Amino acid sequence: MLKIFRTASPYAFAPLAFLLVFSCGRSSQVGGDKVLRVNLGTEPPSLDWSLATDHVSFNVIANLMVGLTEFDKELKPAPVIARSWDVSEGGKTIVFHLRDDVLWSDGKKVTAQDFEYSWKRLLHPKTASEYAYILFDIVNAEGFHRGKIDDDRLIGVAARDERTLEVRLKHPASYFLSLTTFEVTYPQRRDVVERFGPKWTEPEHIVTNGPFLLSSWRHEDEIQLRANPRFFLGKPAVEKVEMLMINEKTTALALYEQGRLDFLDNHSIPIFEKPRLAERQGFRRVRQLRGYYYGFATDRRPFDDVRVRRAFALAIDRSVFPKILHGGEEPATSWIPPEMLAHNPRIGLSYDPSEARKLLSEAGYPDGKGFPPVTLGYNTDEDHKIVAEAMQGMWKRNLGVLARLENQEWKVYLHKLQTDPPHIFRLGWGADFPDPDNFMRLFTSLSGNNNTRWKNPRYDQLIESAAREWNGEKRVQLYNQAQKILCETDLPIVPLFTTAESTVLSSRFTGLEYNSMGRLLLHQVRPK
Amino acid sequence: MVRFLLKRLLHALAVLWVVATLTFVLLRITPGGPFDRERRLPPEVLANIAAKYHLDEPLWSQYARYLKGIAKGDLGPSYKYLDRSVRDIVADTLPVSATLGLLALGLALALSFPAGLTAAYYQSSWTDRLCLFVATLGISLPSFILGALLIWIFSLQLGWLQAGRWGEMGSAVLPSFTLGAAPAAYLTYLLRSSLLDTLGEDFIRTARAKGLRESRVLFKHALSHSLIPVLTVFGPLTAALLTGSFVVEYVFAIPGMGRFFITAVTDRDYPLIMGVTLVYTALLVSANLVVDLLYSFFDPRIRTR
Repeated sequence: MLKIFRTASPYAFAPLAFLLVFSCGRSSQVGGDKVLRVNLGTEPPSLDWSLATDHVSFNVIANLMVGLTEFDKELKPAPVIARSWDVSEGGKTIVFHLRDDVLWSDGKKVTAQDFEYSWKRLLHPKTASEYAYILFDIVNAEGFHRGKIDDDRLIGVAARDERTLEVRLKHPASYFLSLTTFEVTYPQRRDVVERFGPKWTEPEHIVTNGPFLLSSWRHEDEIQLRANPRFFLGKPAVEKVEMLMINEKTTALALYEQGRLDFLDNHSIPIFEKPRLAERQGFRRVRQLRGYYYGFATDRRPFDDVRVRRAFALAIDRSVFPKILHGGEEPATSWIPPEMLAHNPRIGLSYDPSEARKLLSEAGYPDGKGFPPVTLGYNTDEDHKIVAEAMQGMWKRNLGVLARLENQEWKVYLHKLQTDPPHIFRLGWGADFPDPDNFMRLFTSLSGNNNTRWKNPRYDQLIESAAREWNGEKRVQLYNQAQKILCETDLPIVPLFTTAESTVLSSRFTGLEYNSMGRLLLHQVRPK
Repeated sequence: MVRFLLKRLLHALAVLWVVATLTFVLLRITPGGPFDRERRLPPEVLANIAAKYHLDEPLWSQYARYLKGIAKGDLGPSYKYLDRSVRDIVADTLPVSATLGLLALGLALALSFPAGLTAAYYQSSWTDRLCLFVATLGISLPSFILGALLIWIFSLQLGWLQAGRWGEMGSAVLPSFTLGAAPAAYLTYLLRSSLLDTLGEDFIRTARAKGLRESRVLFKHALSHSLIPVLTVFGPLTAALLTGSFVVEYVFAIPGMGRFFITAVTDRDYPLIMGVTLVYTALLVSANLVVDLLYSFFDPRIRTR
């Protein structure tokens, strides 16, 4: 035996030695005071803010760029590059006055022309931007995007001079200022985009104006940012940011525990670790402008009867969700999320099982007898399954109705929602910009996102009126009326809860801002 | 030999064409499209996106465009990673997967050959039983369990090796072992069983009767004869390891190509799915060709047939 082992042992040890030699690549080190390491989770699909659509891309872009405005603590637009703005013609014209000390990373000044170019590029049919529609309130914007208007000078956005940007709207849109907080409206440099084409976002080409600069981008692996010494609000205190792309939460947590990551969010914290991490000093729960709801197929039996929909809503005990999901979810009976204008927790149907049984009985199904088989659909995901099983249990217990659960892969599920939605279905919505219009417009008659097939002209009218109303108090009243229709009387959907982001920041740093739109803002981060 | 190679090359092209066509058709009949979103896009926006990627053309035209692109080595733009082409993505990620695959393959060979040889030579001894036990463990443990277990022991408990950050010191050890464990176990089984058959053959008895040294009997006569079944699985195994593993790349945050076999499908990123499938097929066909050539080297009877 010994002879054979003697002969075979070199085979065994050579690759092991090679493994170690190969592994001695980049040196491994725990970040210093000036290096912050965060986890993006995945590769950002695009750093071109005319094309980006996902939170990973926006989390990088939000640290590379600034726009006309940002939203403040009250979720109202606050000046950034725009020093001020004038609203005239009953809200149909907005003129932005720009600062003159904002520089691009190559030293040139940010001008109104850069905004005009960026917005027109977003609308250009060839750009094929998924967010082009966000600017459709601008005069001729939709026609230009549809290809019906060729001359982009007819679009209602124009730089009057280097410091003045004029926007003309088709109709008053009180949420339009909020749109300018959204990354897709940030300025762009025509010369850079046109010179480098699709590769303009690579580190060697990209020109930005924000607190950090893009140093390197190793695809699927890591993005490195460095502090921008020219940033007009001051150079960030951290010199370098390493943004890793670690999908697996356990792996990200292992790196955090080893001191090789400085920040974790929901994309990096395994659900069963949240209670343990909640004890840590740097742990924070951040409310998100994201709602989770169940919709009813209102054109099909038995949910074409509003009494059945109300019975199902009244049979839901929302207090269970934070206990089973552990993510700081806040039960919600109304649709506009907390902190947003017109949020009203008094609207909606709260848990009342006896009233639920009574309504179901009135609808012809006493104790659930004779109730037709119904399906509850959700996309395959552990959290959605937990919620669906809890709902199934509550309806069985309180109404005597058993809903059949059906889960599908995400894209198959989306296809089914469009073509043949299940009786009850799960969906969520995160704010693109912090204005109630972004939430409430979802369920208007012509909305492509209204999978319930419910229509109410009064609701549509209220949403349009609220959008055109610049008086805050009047808007709140209009949205209150609309929410009552949506969440109390007609009930095509049942809001369940709003979500929260669990975050942990290493004790070495302070000042990291994770906002309610899911943006990771690093400008104010500094070593303790 | 030239005729043989030409025949195999034509065969390979036919296989590639069939795979390309099947992938194209299957993707188009799968429900859900690349631009289906939670926030559904307005029709005019979808129309512009469809026009940009030629998805508004008839299917035959898309198919022709796709085949033409492949012939020119252009695998098209990714629908998900908007600033990159599929060729860029493959060029970035395949070398990483191949490096990890080679390390895993080397480890699998280094572990399986001594283990298989020892187990077969000392059949039914405690060494044999130990080798079989470890091999059974290697086959039974799914890589996501093994990977998580290794991270827990070596990263979290002992702090010797890190869990992610490919390219840094020690970063290749845990993923290589996770990826190489199952192939090592499988090869051990295969080699042991093949060697056991060979060691009972008449020509081994003759070699021993002639007074040859035991190591010569084992390594020269028995081993070379027993390699044929191992070689048969070696082609597909090499292709699978070199193109990456979704689980291992996911668990250890490795920027390789393996993850796209799953994520590109869930994203309905048609060009990327087709690109990685074709790369995998090309590698599989090439590896099998090499294996066929090696057959004749290890067993001259195959050449004469």
